[in-house]
Amino acid sequence: MITEEQQDQAALYALGLLDLDEAAAFESELGASAELRNFVRELREAAGDLALSVPSQSPPASLKRRVMSEIVLETEQSAPISRRYPSFAWAPWAIAAILILFCGLLALDRARLQRELANIRAADPLMQTIFFTLTPSESGPADAKATVAWQPGQQTGVIRITNLPIPESGRDYQLWAVDAAHKDPISAGVIRVDKNGVAQIRFKPVEMAQQVKAFAISLEREGGVPKKEGPILLAGTA
Amino acid sequence: MSAETATAQQIADREMIARIGRGDQSAFDALYDRLSGPLYSLALRMLGDAADAQEALQDVFLQIWSRAGAYDPQQSSVFSWSVLLTRSRVIDRLRARGRRLRVLVDVEEDPTEAADASTAESVADTVNKDDEAVRVRSILNNLPSEQREVIELAFFTDLTHHEIATRLGQPLGTVKARIRRGLLKLRERLRTRL
Repeated sequence: MITEEQQDQAALYALGLLDLDEAAAFESELGASAELRNFVRELREAAGDLALSVPSQSPPASLKRRVMSEIVLETEQSAPISRRYPSFAWAPWAIAAILILFCGLLALDRARLQRELANIRAADPLMQTIFFTLTPSESGPADAKATVAWQPGQQTGVIRITNLPIPESGRDYQLWAVDAAHKDPISAGVIRVDKNGVAQIRFKPVEMAQQVKAFAISLEREGGVPKKEGPILLAGTA
Repeated sequence: MSAETATAQQIADREMIARIGRGDQSAFDALYDRLSGPLYSLALRMLGDAADAQEALQDVFLQIWSRAGAYDPQQSSVFSWSVLLTRSRVIDRLRARGRRLRVLVDVEEDPTEAADASTAESVADTVNKDDEAVRVRSILNNLPSEQREVIELAFFTDLTHHEIATRLGQPLGTVKARIRRGLLKLRERLRTRL
């Protein structure tokens, strides 16, 4: 026997009008009564049929295509884990291993290239040579030019000078290496030009030059001086 | 109606939903063709907006696809299950938007609805489902107006029975009774279709 109050609740339940607590309480009654369950089912059918009272409208065909696409996508995404995910399980480790291997190969290759470059530099003097271009200072002869080819490893260099007039008697030109590791320029020797103002001389500084920043030519007393005294006539960096 | 006295259509629906539960896309395709019209019509009636109704219907069919395995034929037919699922999703949307009442059609004042019984008959000659629709509309229209009013408010809007009572200015007990009586009359009159 279904009471009137149960019928009220059943109607509200079938229409989804009960709140959560009310619905839970009614469901406990449903669990105890097959008659009540059958009654609710019939009310649900009647409620469902209410949808048929609405004037019929058809959704656009594009909606079906969207829905079917979603279904296909969802099916693919929810494929059995045993078939789909093993590859993803080890893939990050495999990628990491490949990256490590790749980095190792790159490091080995870099070391090999550095060795080859060092060998090439050792075999080719030009690769070890630093070129400096010297230009006149304000007190120097305007047309004079000089180029220095400096080999740090050998601690030797060659200087070629043009348009540098022969100095007055009792004077000589002196070449200096301006080194970062020395407070004062290092003497690289006296330079004598010919009557055309040209000179090409191989030189060697009197002290070890660590890092030559510039070369300079000054006018000094004849025979040269251990420490620069006269004016700088030409100077230049690499 | 019990699960044992199901119609041929209900049995066919159950078979389709069982196949869908096993991942059969062709069965889903067929069920979509059968249900999309009435479910869309319901969503459109409640939401009053075609784009919203389409989104709601998409949600519903995705739920049907994912929940087909949990369908219990002892609780309701596939059709009623789908309708109530649609109604639930639509109400979620209405409440999420804060819209308390989107569309409420007064059947007596709606010329389309008023003409349903006559205009739909010509269509009903060729399509069985339209026969059913005409019949349901006729039964609903023949309910006492106070019962039809609460049934429509209860089914086609997101109002609770408490809110319906407030809206109509009627005691809650009266509203509950009208809902019960109206739904029981619908049940009795719809039973005769079997």
